[in-house]
Amino acid sequence: MSVPQYRKVAAMALAAGLGLSLAACSTKSDDSGDAGGKVTITVDCQPVGAQKELLKNWNDDVAEFQRQNPDIVVKSVSVGEQCNNPPDFTARLAGGTVTDVFYGYMTDLQQVLDSGQAMDISEYATKDTIPTWDSVDPALKEVFTDSGKLYGVPVKNYSMGLIYNKALFQRAGLDAANPPKTWPEVRAAAKKISALGGGVAGYSEYSAGNTGGWHFTSLLYSQGGQVLSADGKKADFNNPTGKQVLQNLKDMRYGDNSMGSRQLLQWGDLLTNAGAGKVGMFIGAPDATQAIVSQFQGKYQDWAMGPLPGQDGPAKATLGGGEGYFFKKGLSPEQVKAGLKWIAYQKLTPGKGQFDYVRAKPQNYPVGLPQPLLFTNGSDAQKKELELRKANANVDTTNFAVFEANPVPIKGEPRNAQAIYAVLDSAMSGVLTNPNANIDTLLKTAEDKVNQLLAAGS
Amino acid sequence: MAADLTTRTLISHAQLRRGRGRILYWVLLTLVVVTFTLVFLGPLYWMVTGALKSGQEIAQTPPSLFPRDPQPQNYVDAWTNLDLAKLLFNTFYYATGAVLFQLVFDTAAAYALSKLRPVLGGVILGMMLATLMIPAMVLIVPQYVTVIDLPIVHVNLLDSPFAIWLPLVANAFNIFLLKRFFDSIPEDLMSAAVMDGASPLRTLWSIVLPMSRPILGVVAIFAVTAVWKDFLWPKLVMPSPETRTVSVGIYAFAGGTPQNVVIAASVIAAIPTVVLFLIFQRNIMSGLTTGGLKG
Amino acid sequence: MALTTAPGVTRRPGRPAPTPQRSAARRAGLGRRVRDNLTGHTFLIGAVACFAVFSWYPMVRGVMMSFQRTRRGETTWVGWDNYTRIIADPSFWTAWKNTFVFTGLALVLGYAVPFFVAILLNELRHAKGYLRVLVYLPVMLPPASALFLFKFYAYDPSEAGLFNAILTAVGLPTSEWMQSPTMTMPAMVLASTWMNMGGAVLIYLAALQNIPGELYEAAEIDGAGVWRRIVHVTVPQTRLILALLAMLQIVATMQLFIEPLILANGAGTQDSATSVAYLIYQHGFFQNDLNGAAALGVIMLVVLAGFSAVYVRLTARQD
Repeated sequence: MSVPQYRKVAAMALAAGLGLSLAACSTKSDDSGDAGGKVTITVDCQPVGAQKELLKNWNDDVAEFQRQNPDIVVKSVSVGEQCNNPPDFTARLAGGTVTDVFYGYMTDLQQVLDSGQAMDISEYATKDTIPTWDSVDPALKEVFTDSGKLYGVPVKNYSMGLIYNKALFQRAGLDAANPPKTWPEVRAAAKKISALGGGVAGYSEYSAGNTGGWHFTSLLYSQGGQVLSADGKKADFNNPTGKQVLQNLKDMRYGDNSMGSRQLLQWGDLLTNAGAGKVGMFIGAPDATQAIVSQFQGKYQDWAMGPLPGQDGPAKATLGGGEGYFFKKGLSPEQVKAGLKWIAYQKLTPGKGQFDYVRAKPQNYPVGLPQPLLFTNGSDAQKKELELRKANANVDTTNFAVFEANPVPIKGEPRNAQAIYAVLDSAMSGVLTNPNANIDTLLKTAEDKVNQLLAAGS
Repeated sequence: MAADLTTRTLISHAQLRRGRGRILYWVLLTLVVVTFTLVFLGPLYWMVTGALKSGQEIAQTPPSLFPRDPQPQNYVDAWTNLDLAKLLFNTFYYATGAVLFQLVFDTAAAYALSKLRPVLGGVILGMMLATLMIPAMVLIVPQYVTVIDLPIVHVNLLDSPFAIWLPLVANAFNIFLLKRFFDSIPEDLMSAAVMDGASPLRTLWSIVLPMSRPILGVVAIFAVTAVWKDFLWPKLVMPSPETRTVSVGIYAFAGGTPQNVVIAASVIAAIPTVVLFLIFQRNIMSGLTTGGLKG
Repeated sequence: MALTTAPGVTRRPGRPAPTPQRSAARRAGLGRRVRDNLTGHTFLIGAVACFAVFSWYPMVRGVMMSFQRTRRGETTWVGWDNYTRIIADPSFWTAWKNTFVFTGLALVLGYAVPFFVAILLNELRHAKGYLRVLVYLPVMLPPASALFLFKFYAYDPSEAGLFNAILTAVGLPTSEWMQSPTMTMPAMVLASTWMNMGGAVLIYLAALQNIPGELYEAAEIDGAGVWRRIVHVTVPQTRLILALLAMLQIVATMQLFIEPLILANGAGTQDSATSVAYLIYQHGFFQNDLNGAAALGVIMLVVLAGFSAVYVRLTARQD
């Protein structure tokens, strides 16, 4: 071998070595074995750096949990501000790079099953691993169940209402203690608020990144409609209820010009505007106020919440949804048990983790929101959680009193929700950006696409 | 490029030095300098100052030229919250590896096709060139599925830098460039080396490569640009926050981060490359203009 | 177009004489020939392996996937199902229309503008370096950064946006930019041109510097004005590089993806920004339909093959 050849071999070896070393640092969960008798699990949806206090709480919880369970090692992975951004989630599922215990929406079960990544945890989810398991709302367990097998554990449950900015209400001469109860009232209030000027939108709405479809669904429920027919095989929104939804928006957007000029909003865009004090009302779950404050530089005292409005009376139904953790296929029983214990500790124990209200009270983090409704009404865990929440409330609970006092029947999200939402975004963006949009055409197009999508999925 | 002053272009020097031509030239020059500064530097100014504005100030009408109440905190937030140091390191790491892999494998291949010409070399070259017309988007799905589970060896390359490096080696344009260059190296040089009993590798190393510096520079620049500009592929194959590139990382955080912080992150992300570019601009410019392609 | 050649070369490139290795091999018999071939293939192996795994195999795999369906880990052959489903998607034709409109607009803006910018820069005797650096500067930005800049500041539909503020200041009507179905495409082309034109300008500049000055001299003596000199000297002299860049530009613009993703949050208003590439992404990663996405990829390949065929015929005829 000549000298140059040595050099070349050395260069190649160096390049390969560099590659391998980085590959080794990357977070693969392959090392999940029990090194030194310990069980290691990787868990995603660790808060990101921007959420300073939440992140600190999470890390403290991990430390405390590992102290109590010396044989378990929890490795946290952060996957972004939004733990489930649909295309990234799909990519992780398809690529098999989900963590051992991974976060998902209640609507994700079918997709997780399709990807072949779901693990049946029926035999492990018991009082032994999750002490409060019997208090968890059976309806929520059902959401994560397919053919009698349980694939996930619910950790959050919400229903949507009308969130409004009290400060703007007052400035516009509206009664901040008495939010609009019907869509015509919303329209009237939005008109007054946007009259304040300065780029304030009286009512703001999503139309991109799947959030438009998500809110369309909620608005449709408020009118008494449904996205899919009862058998789940056909789209069911190209009808008077669907038209009413879009007509209301069109009237506000172009009739009154009370929705601001910035459209094509997705999750963070609307909340950015809200944090800057430019949004009077929008529909959302109670924790949207939390995001406005912790991520988008807003203030708690500005925000209150009422029930979802209906067309001429209370809403017929509201959209309910939530989150949970799935388990990756192929975990050892020890890992599943360790994962369940961790979820039990951090998400399902009154006084600990997400329910550690004593810790959260002095932080820039709300206590007193009517959320997450995880436990059955009247169960031990529910009573304990409510007691703690009341004792440590740091937000004015009257801000949510109207919402709590006027419960609206909750309706779950449709099957294949994310794909359908992507289609419905287009109807929303049409009515919000085109003054001459034809509502019938928008709905017809969306209906065709959804039907085609359903046909493809079966 | 002082030499250019003597070459004749569209309009002669004489014409530009006389009376009306001269005035016209200076007016045009001023106009071009001002317009280009506004068009290309203006947005960058807007970006740097915009990131200093508060959320309220960004939303005001009409927009303010200078930030009224500068918020340097936005830059601090961007740096820490997005973990920009990590993102930048990843991007440069991938770019360096891409350069090394392409230089080693593509040079070797082009040398073999140009000088050693083994049997079936022509067929192989043809099959490589055929991929020139296939845009990455066409293959994105099967390529992704391949990287998840490499055929035969069944290795998952997700989150591994090889998922970026190895597909970039399959670059027909580079091989074509290199081969054309090697083709033009005089045969008498090569035969002299063979007479001396040099192995093909030695010939490559001590005769071909030293003559090929300009073209190697071009391939290196292309490799760096490819990694820097690519978006969808790294987004798919580097799904973990620790392995993301700058572009993908900023995009991933944009959804849940205030706009001014996103812009601040963009500014910081651009600084290292712009600085590198300004330092090496002479080399890069001359490399791209005189070394790469000539009409 | 002649690619750079090594110094001191007189022989026409592209048709090399037999190499010494080869002629030596012919003399030395079978064993030597086998060994030389082996050496040659050893040099090729790295690149060939990468092509095989990441280029050739995925092509075959893509075609196979487009006729298959994978559900819960089970793969079945489904004939043309994926194709009929993809074509039945109401966004399918919109996406093609949008992609062609973008390609066309990009040819006008992103292709012609850099050419004239290069001609202009080539004529200026001052501030050359400064202007070149300026034009190339946006190429240095991470693409996502450049696009967020446009999205947040330039294309803000309210009057707080930079473009609308300028339009208002000079008394012109404002635009809603990405929110207006008619402006979506021009706005995306504008942003894309701004961030990418540096490379093309430099390549044109290199080409312009190779035009012999005597040709302009002769044209001027014949009484040709500036415009006629461009048409009759500059364009023919750079024809090959123009043709090559046109093809590269078409292949690149057909892959329009990051612009709609960032500027229009994906589909834009009523699908006005949906491109074929975005549709591939949407099917593959939003709708969990990798097989449909593979079928769309194959369709795109066929369309581009058609383009290349036309291109080869056109350029061949010119020669």
